Amino acid sequence: MMNLQFMLFILINGLSQGMVLFIIASGLSLVFGVLRVINFAHGSLYMIGAFLAFSLSSLFAGKTLFAFLMLMLLVPPAVAVLGLGLEVSLFRRIYRKEHLLQLLLTYSLVLILDGLTRIIWGGQIRNVPRPEILAGSLDLFGLFFPSYNLFLLIMGPLIAAGLWTLLYRSRAGNYIRAAVTYPEMLGALGVNVPGVMTATFMLGCFLAGLGGVFMSALANIDLSIGMERIIECFAVVVIGGLGSVGGALLGSLIIGVGVAFIQIYFSRMALVFPYVIMALVLIIRPWGLFGKPER
Amino acid sequence: MPSALESYPSTHRSWLIAGTVMAVLTILPFVLGQLGRTGEYWLWVATEMVIMALFSLSLNLILGFGGMVSFGHAAFFGVGAYTVALLMKKGGVGFVPAMAAAPLVSALAAGVIGWFCVRRVGLYFSILTLAFGQLIFMITLQLYGYTGGDDGIHGIPRPVLLTPLSYYLVCLALVAGSYLLMRFLTKSPFGLTIRMTRENPERAKFLGINVKGYQLVNFIIAGGFAGLAGGLFTELNRFAQTEFLHWSKSAEPIFASLVGGMYSLIGPAIGSTVLIFLKIIIQQIHQGLVEIWGIILGVILLGVVLFMPEGIVGVYEKIRARRRRPQ
Repeated sequence: MMNLQFMLFILINGLSQGMVLFIIASGLSLVFGVLRVINFAHGSLYMIGAFLAFSLSSLFAGKTLFAFLMLMLLVPPAVAVLGLGLEVSLFRRIYRKEHLLQLLLTYSLVLILDGLTRIIWGGQIRNVPRPEILAGSLDLFGLFFPSYNLFLLIMGPLIAAGLWTLLYRSRAGNYIRAAVTYPEMLGALGVNVPGVMTATFMLGCFLAGLGGVFMSALANIDLSIGMERIIECFAVVVIGGLGSVGGALLGSLIIGVGVAFIQIYFSRMALVFPYVIMALVLIIRPWGLFGKPER
Repeated sequence: MPSALESYPSTHRSWLIAGTVMAVLTILPFVLGQLGRTGEYWLWVATEMVIMALFSLSLNLILGFGGMVSFGHAAFFGVGAYTVALLMKKGGVGFVPAMAAAPLVSALAAGVIGWFCVRRVGLYFSILTLAFGQLIFMITLQLYGYTGGDDGIHGIPRPVLLTPLSYYLVCLALVAGSYLLMRFLTKSPFGLTIRMTRENPERAKFLGINVKGYQLVNFIIAGGFAGLAGGLFTELNRFAQTEFLHWSKSAEPIFASLVGGMYSLIGPAIGSTVLIFLKIIIQQIHQGLVEIWGIILGVILLGVVLFMPEGIVGVYEKIRARRRRPQ
């Protein structure tokens, strides 16, 4: 019984890590799908979201659910506005350029944003207190689970469903998907394609910021989380297929649960796992589990 | 992207300039020797610059000539570094055989990794090289018994003959020799074929060229030169650490190539030297500025990407061309 409790605990932990990863990685994947740019700075935007959540939560000072909801409502739009600035001033100029220049532009943004984060928030390890209602454990069929992890397990699928509805059941989603497959045609039909791109980029940043809020209360945050996370996100989108949101969900759960279990049995190997699985997928099925082969 | 014919303007440069630069670089340490402790420091910096120039040049064989963005090049730099460190510290091997082994072991590693990577193109190639590079980084970190994990390997023996001055000259000679080799290579039929696979892989394939094979050999050669750079860097610092293998190290020669100009042979060396020099100058101006070096570097890169993607050499060539044919 103890063993089952333990295994379930690891599973829940891995799944909730996977959910946070999904929220962030789906943003990266979405942006890649429409803009065809792999945004290295996505991890930095997520980190900025987490630190913004930290600053705001000390402002609210209370451990109430309301305060946490305010973080969820305020931080992601703030990161999205930052994304708006970046897209309009910088990303727009490089859509038609080579891959290398695009990668380097986003990488130089990593250097700048990480440097600014260091100046603003410093190198200390921070965290955001969980709201009281989510701070304890929940008793389910005689097994105890941390409420916050269960909360993430509910939020993850909700956000996935919301994203799916947005992409497949709304006019905005139609535009976004059309911009993925045939931007020229979309433009010819009178749709403001640059606007669609900007909006998609903002949506991606919104998701990065939301992931930052959730992460800030799940674990400690410091200046290294952006870099760590972006590599995990690469692994996720490679596994799931670049541009595929469903793939990002699957990839996140594989990485989240995989890392959680490997950590228990071979603690030091857990860090290698994303790279191994990323290399394997790229060698065997480079377009990912859900993606379609290009060309 | 410039056309194949005008892509490598600097190879037309006269031997006179090359000779002058070599002469200045050779005399430099003797001048620095007169400056006491400051001179010693700058000699060390100059040695680092020479070695890092080789690292950047080696990456550009893949990046500029091959047109493939590798994000895992530090792996081969690091493998060379650890080869020298392990052979000299734990194996008791001499400087010369250890330094000869570094490029060979790195080339071997590049052969294995490259065999998988060249099968993928574009972004997938980049991510795969990143994954393999980090894999080697992680493995080095885990093999505590051999590599010392986080601590790295310290106290690598220094042969009595190698003073800072003579070590600088050894590095300069090796790097200049490597440069000449690369120059020969890029002008050879092999080099031209590599350029063709960059410009038009489809057509190359139709001409019966084994594109992946050529790219793999190019990858291996680049890995070998990176290994030599790693070995030399380890002996300079007398330690090897996992940071040498990290993917942020892989980014350094990419930045150098971009800033210097990746469509010329010498560009990456110039870029690398400029960036190291800038970093040290900033350090000298104010210690606190080191904190924001990342931001400064980021802004420089941003400027280069947006306004002069052809790099320093490219801008220089443009100015020269304008002066020649005034319109």
